[in-house]
Amino acid sequence: MKQAVRLVNGLLGSLVVLIFTILVVCVVWQVFSRYVLGTPSTTTDEIARFLFMWIAFTGAAYTLGQKRHLAIDVISLWMGGRSLRNIRVLVLVIIGAFVSVVMLYGGWQLMAETLKTGQMTPALRIPMGYVYGAIPFSGLTMLFYCVVLIIELLDPNTPFEDEIVDTSTPMSPSSSSPAGQHK
Amino acid sequence: ASAVTLKLNHNNPKDHQLHKSMEFMAERVKELTNGDVKIRVYANAQLGTQRESLELVQNGTLAMAKSNASELEAFEESYSAMNLPYIFVSEDHYYNVLSGEIGDDILMASKDKGFIGLTYYVEGARSFYANKEIHTPADLKGMKIRVQPSESAIRMVELLGGNPTPISWGELYSALKQGVVDGAENNPSALTSARHGEVSKFYSNDGHTMIPSVVVMSTKVWDSLDENQQKALKQAAKDSMLFHREAWNEQTRKDIEQAKKELDVKFIEVEKGPFIEAVMPMHEEASKKSARIADLVERIKAAAK
Amino acid sequence: MEWQATITLFSIFIVLMALSVPISFAIGIATVFTFMVINMSFDQSIFIVAQQMASGLDSFTLLAIPFFILAGNIMNRGGIAMRLIEFAKILGGRLPGSLAHCNVLANMMFGAISGSAVASAAAVGGVMAPIQKKEGYDPAFSAAVNIASCPTGLLIPPSTTFIVYSLITNGTSIAALFVAGYVPGILMGLGLMTVAGVIAKKRGYPLAPKPSWNEVMQKSCDAVLPLGLIFIIMGGIIGGIFTATEASAVAVVYTLFLALVWYREITIRDLPKIILESAVTTSIVLLMIGCSIAMSKAMAFSDIPFTISDALLSLSENPLVILLAINLALLVIGTFMDMTPALLIFTPIFLPVVQDLGMDPVHFGVMMTFNLCIGICTPPVGSALFVGCSVGKVAISKVLKPLLPFYAVLVVLLLAVTYIPQLSLFLPSFFLGYGG
Ligand code: NA
Ligand code: NA
Repeated sequence: MKQAVRLVNGLLGSLVVLIFTILVVCVVWQVFSRYVLGTPSTTTDEIARFLFMWIAFTGAAYTLGQKRHLAIDVISLWMGGRSLRNIRVLVLVIIGAFVSVVMLYGGWQLMAETLKTGQMTPALRIPMGYVYGAIPFSGLTMLFYCVVLIIELLDPNTPFEDEIVDTSTPMSPSSSSPAGQHK
Repeated sequence: ASAVTLKLNHNNPKDHQLHKSMEFMAERVKELTNGDVKIRVYANAQLGTQRESLELVQNGTLAMAKSNASELEAFEESYSAMNLPYIFVSEDHYYNVLSGEIGDDILMASKDKGFIGLTYYVEGARSFYANKEIHTPADLKGMKIRVQPSESAIRMVELLGGNPTPISWGELYSALKQGVVDGAENNPSALTSARHGEVSKFYSNDGHTMIPSVVVMSTKVWDSLDENQQKALKQAAKDSMLFHREAWNEQTRKDIEQAKKELDVKFIEVEKGPFIEAVMPMHEEASKKSARIADLVERIKAAAK
Repeated sequence: MEWQATITLFSIFIVLMALSVPISFAIGIATVFTFMVINMSFDQSIFIVAQQMASGLDSFTLLAIPFFILAGNIMNRGGIAMRLIEFAKILGGRLPGSLAHCNVLANMMFGAISGSAVASAAAVGGVMAPIQKKEGYDPAFSAAVNIASCPTGLLIPPSTTFIVYSLITNGTSIAALFVAGYVPGILMGLGLMTVAGVIAKKRGYPLAPKPSWNEVMQKSCDAVLPLGLIFIIMGGIIGGIFTATEASAVAVVYTLFLALVWYREITIRDLPKIILESAVTTSIVLLMIGCSIAMSKAMAFSDIPFTISDALLSLSENPLVILLAINLALLVIGTFMDMTPALLIFTPIFLPVVQDLGMDPVHFGVMMTFNLCIGICTPPVGSALFVGCSVGKVAISKVLKPLLPFYAVLVVLLLAVTYIPQLSLFLPSFFLGYGG
């Protein structure tokens, strides 16, 4: 299982870095083509928007695997040990239910229906369904992480490290903290 | 069927004429059905953007939405026929096509795609505006013209010699002001309602496209109404179409007056011939895409005679 | 029906949060149930939530968020933050409580460039806290200064908060919001410096030794290139070279140039890690934005905004009173809710009300941001508070008392920003002709 997790982490991580890099290039090219070349690109706007949606969803899946989504962890002030471990499992089950029902199933419906009715993106004329594909894809990988994390928690041989939800402690002063999101 | 309240979403503010016309339709259908069918109009895209609300309409989650022919192209190709530049030769031709058989045909074309159109609201003709006089396509050469990100808008500006530049509506005012783009295209109300007249002093009345707003309704919800309710709704929609036309044209006169007087915008009457000639290839390109579009293009042109 | 939906929405949300379900998922789940309460089928409810999560992110302007976060991370790792702090020490050096002023100024400069309150609290506080301790400053006081001043960068442009605000208000001009943030942001910094100065003087904190002329010159020169980013960004926007969104990508390129080529403090090999770290931070916000947009749709579908605004308007007809009520409501919301979800959820509720009163959306955006800036410094939920305490190595309970005078000055300034529109609107109308 450890290997599978490492593989998925690696693939998602590389995908995210790749998309992010293309995104920067894309928007810089947009400025360059308009201001320097004088012939504005008509497609970078749409490409950037759609890559952005993909980055948000693949990134969110990767982040779940790193247990970095922001939660307000007041419960660990009230309980610990076994009951806290049970709550952690419950939380993962709740997340798992949401990602499988809304993101995987609902997102799949959305993608399938959009493909079926043939909606096209305005500038590139590619099926809008491909863009929405990011949701079920992300849902599936999130479900994978939920299962893995639940198995880890339920395994009596692994020590209970309470780090499912990171409250707002920054990793280190030099890295941007998990709470560094709202700026 | 029993009494219903239908939700209708659109993206204009409450003081916009389109909102008032939809409220008129709501009032009318309430009268016709003695309160059996009510429409609640949600302004400012409260329930979603045009694209999102169309997807919700297709799915039956939302009863009604207002969109426009340009956006609807992505969902139903028939609308692309009326988005072609210079397909309409006059305001009368335009209105007659929309209110007649061809217009109805297009409204019903998407029935198996989850939605039907109920009515059109005219929004006048769109023209170029900039800080420079545009009299001929040659004047557009090398100018960065903001377009909506649609294939046909991009193609049109290209054929006219300009550089099409997609910029989001929210950034357009400052993009015009700061010179990120050299010009844009819209109907005259953009000069006053979006204050573009403050930053663009020449409006060249080339009237390249006439793109109507369309009120669409979910097929699922439509089918759930009984025959009398459907008839009343259709009637209310038609009535509001005429109401809107008169109010809109009156509003446009006022907008132009205001733009001239308060914002000092100069309106330029242009010789349309060279513009028409330049974009003619688009008519053939569109007809080549499908027999359906070819047929519509032909019928619309025939109706001009 | 509205009340049923309201109760469903908030009670499920609060229960899930109490269980420590991550905020994004708590919002998403509460939203699904709210749709079901207003008679949507199960399939329709999950369809609309999935659609809104994705579609809510379909906006070119939102691209600025990952870019500014990336630029901020590059600055942190590439030695740019350090140079700004050194420069701030020169600026604040001769005032009573010089290190406190240095902290505020560094937060203003770093936040101005990175647009992130928490990144700047972590970067600046991390460097300043040990120095202040050595000079005999009370660590709780130092942490309080750092916490209260880190949000200045959310008002001083560029600011991703304004970008989110523009998105939910259907395109309020970002350029106008950016320019509008300067005066309130700088006022916030100066107000905090005044309070810090008075306290430091009373406690007799030492003045920094007078730096030599050489030192002044050298540290100022070092700061020229990092500060140049502000001029590139604002100059580029005002000069029509790029839009406010595109400026964020330009910021990435410029910081990369400084860090990779000019200072050579990082190499190409460090980049994937920095990018991935930025993507994680980004996607935490973006998932939250997607889910919050779905939630705001659930509220719109169930007419919750109408209900709340009717209640507000029935309170009084006096605009001054309504604005005061909105500010109080937002201060309460800010205590337990983070800035982004609060902005996403409550802007659609309050904006129509204040627009009916004739308030400009740019002015309201500045007011709301200023208000929620206070919220991120308050318990129980405040990201600036958490990060500030953690880098300052002080317990949250210790820092609250020293924070009180700073809260007070922030509230006074909030009222000024609320009731004096010119503080926000003069610059945009002067530079951009905004508002005519
Ligand atoms: Na900033
Ligand atoms: Na708080």
